[in-house]
Amino acid sequence: MTDFKAAVRALADVGVEFILVGGVAATVHGSARLTGDIDVVYRRSNENIHRLVTALSVHHPYLRGAPPGLPFRWDEATIQRGLNFTLTTDIGDFDVLGEIVSGGSYETLLPNTVTISLYGVECRCVTLDTLIRVKRAAGRPKDLEAVAELEALLEERRRLEGR
Amino acid sequence: MHGADQPLEPDPVIEAYKRDVDRTLLRENLRRSVEERIEALMQLQAFADELRRAGQRLRA
Repeated sequence: MTDFKAAVRALADVGVEFILVGGVAATVHGSARLTGDIDVVYRRSNENIHRLVTALSVHHPYLRGAPPGLPFRWDEATIQRGLNFTLTTDIGDFDVLGEIVSGGSYETLLPNTVTISLYGVECRCVTLDTLIRVKRAAGRPKDLEAVAELEALLEERRRLEGR
Repeated sequence: MHGADQPLEPDPVIEAYKRDVDRTLLRENLRRSVEERIEALMQLQAFADELRRAGQRLRA
């Protein structure tokens, strides 16, 4: 089980610049679907990569699904060499993404985010419209049902707002 | 991001799935705060984990 409260706090406490995307972003917008991990897009600046390393190091990140014993090191060099990391940690599963399909990087996504207050910290979450576009663009069969729910949510929200 | 301001074309597959969406759950969630939605997700995760463990015990 992922401790979303601990996950958000771990990132925010050291000032990691990140955007919530994926299933947790869907939950933020009202989705009722079950998701097991937390997906974030992080800014790929040197300072932010340093903060990201600090935030997750104490939670023992390791490559999810990889056999034990690999010489994986969660450090700045590893993040600089890679882009997207699917991790397992003491506080749950993390997808730490430098870019997402059709959403791009942190900087590209930033105008399409909202600021939310979560467990006493302010963090960025991708907008519902953008989440729908990103999931549609991913084109995975498993996403189609999720997109249907997100589009229904958008309709419900507009109905509530009288639009 | 390309096309962020343009309305999306309806997709027939998505429209078909949409008919089965339980909107009562969505309306209930929209009445909740963001934190309450995340807490509900964690409760659902815990329940799913418990069901998984029960299934494993049954097969053992």
